Amino acid sequence: MDDVLSSEVVIIGGGVIGAAAAYFLCKEGAEVMIVEAEDLTAGASGACDGFLSLQTKQIGSHLDLTLESMALLPGIIEDLDIDPEYNPCGGLMLATNQDQLKELKARAKKVKAAGLEIEILGTQELKEMLPEVSKEIKGAAYCPSDAQINPIAFTLGMAQKAQGMGAKIIKGCKVENIVVTNNRVREVHTTAGSIHSRRVICAAGTGSNEIGKMIIVDIPVMPQKGQILVTEARERMLDRIVSGAEYLGTKANLDELLPKDEDAIRLGLGFTAEQTVSGNILIGSTREFAGFDKETTPEAMNAIAKNAINYLPWIKNLDVIRSFAGLRPYSPDGLPIMGPVKGVKGFYMATGHSGDGICLAAITGKLMSELVLDGETSIDISPFSLYRFK
Amino acid sequence: MQGKTGSESWQEVWDKSVNGPRALIDCWQEIPCDPCQEACAQGSIVLSSGICAPPALHAEKCNGCGKCVAICPGMAIFLVDRSIGSGLARVTVPYEMRDEIRLGGEAWAVDGEGNYLAEGRITRVSGAGRPGRTMLLTIEVPEEWALKVRGVRGRRKLLEEPEEVEAIEAVEDFAFCRCEEIDYSRLREIITQGEFRSLPALRRFSRAGLGYCQGRFCQSILRSQFLADCPEEDREVESFRVRAPVRPVKLSRLGGEDG
Repeated sequence: MDDVLSSEVVIIGGGVIGAAAAYFLCKEGAEVMIVEAEDLTAGASGACDGFLSLQTKQIGSHLDLTLESMALLPGIIEDLDIDPEYNPCGGLMLATNQDQLKELKARAKKVKAAGLEIEILGTQELKEMLPEVSKEIKGAAYCPSDAQINPIAFTLGMAQKAQGMGAKIIKGCKVENIVVTNNRVREVHTTAGSIHSRRVICAAGTGSNEIGKMIIVDIPVMPQKGQILVTEARERMLDRIVSGAEYLGTKANLDELLPKDEDAIRLGLGFTAEQTVSGNILIGSTREFAGFDKETTPEAMNAIAKNAINYLPWIKNLDVIRSFAGLRPYSPDGLPIMGPVKGVKGFYMATGHSGDGICLAAITGKLMSELVLDGETSIDISPFSLYRFK
Repeated sequence: MQGKTGSESWQEVWDKSVNGPRALIDCWQEIPCDPCQEACAQGSIVLSSGICAPPALHAEKCNGCGKCVAICPGMAIFLVDRSIGSGLARVTVPYEMRDEIRLGGEAWAVDGEGNYLAEGRITRVSGAGRPGRTMLLTIEVPEEWALKVRGVRGRRKLLEEPEEVEAIEAVEDFAFCRCEEIDYSRLREIITQGEFRSLPALRRFSRAGLGYCQGRFCQSILRSQFLADCPEEDREVESFRVRAPVRPVKLSRLGGEDG
């Protein structure tokens, strides 16, 4: 407890965002320390699927940010010593009825105008791309830029690389207080001792609200539970990431695409499926508010399984070997919260990425490095300011 | 003629084992797995209704060669031999550790949960010189235990059980997590490189225990190896979170109306 540590920058949180920030800061030669309460990827980054879904982003600053992030990915992956199983496979969003297809069409037009390629497929074209899709599916939106990645390997890869460049990673280290004097961050008190630092990045995901309290700032991030089923490992059966239009409805809160069923709305049910490099198929998912509860529930598992069969009937023959739940750091409008805090110099937020942390990690890391070291960013981050909520 | 499964077959194995070793199949898993059928040159093991059916034994055809014991990925087949008489039986079990088990040495026979059953002498060790291959150990025990023995442990090891943190020094490599095909040496490498604080983190990164069996076979070794390699005085070792399904279940059943 008497250890006195110091670091130019302290990053709170060893998830994908913290790892990305450390990676970019170290590239610029900064002295970095990550403090992580448990283990790397102990939170949302280790309990999610590997969707890098561009077509589900909100049109505007959210999508623009995503495009920037995706452009950075290949360079980072090239640089890592751990293979993050990145696969630029493209993504299909399936419509179960004509109304949904119409919505997807209308949206595709806007998304295209925003700079993302998207193609509407009729049943015949869809069949060529996804031969064993249910006959009930009326069509799909295909986004060639959608991709998948292994979030755990991605996080570990960036953290390890940062470590190689001198970053220190302290695990099992809980932040207890942040000392602010003369409107500036001075010290971070942790269970592993005090750390002197004038720059602190909050990448604490669902823990951000708690961290905010230490500097008397309300960071409106709350846990949003997502449950996922894992099947046995099989030969290659899914070449692309696949989701249902209702997934987009639930995620982006689009009334026209929300599920019709009351229970499905309550669970925030939306179909997703991807096959990982290990061969397992991850089937999702829900969006529920249940506090910090990470248990999977029979109701949700039943609903996810039933829902998946509607899209991909063959999936019913696979064995489910596991289920898990993760807690997304949900922000009120689904957009990340990034940038400085008024009245507390040296405190920066990189949190509230909701279900998009993996996708947005690269650009978030880069922006944090720019913000912390130069005081300004190459992209306007005002749409992600904490003060948009006030 | 129909082969027999379960207790029916065990009775027959018990009866026939007075003439020499016979295979005792303790497999109930309806999983796609058939190496035992393939391995049996006598045609005594049959999967009657497709690859997911548990194997059935034609005890009268079995010659006790033990190939099925060595090949079963679930370590669910054993040999029982009561031909030596005097109230003793020899039980052959698959064995994958490389520790102090020696021919002629005393060891403890344990059941499926690792509970002590009886003390016995190791009368046969085969396959010890072949790296990566499953060894077969034969232990001599009072015959009342013959149908219950599922494993063998060195006595010294068992006596020291309370402090299970002693590192197991492997001379040769073996498949530690069979489902995800992770070698013991690879696991050690991951443990020593990653500085993981918890078992769930170790599992996330190594993938050991994330396969079809969900760690039912490897979890306890994973735990003791982890404790041995990452000793920290004040650490509480969090176990894996137990979540449904406890065993693999068809997605169609999970999605059924009855839940």
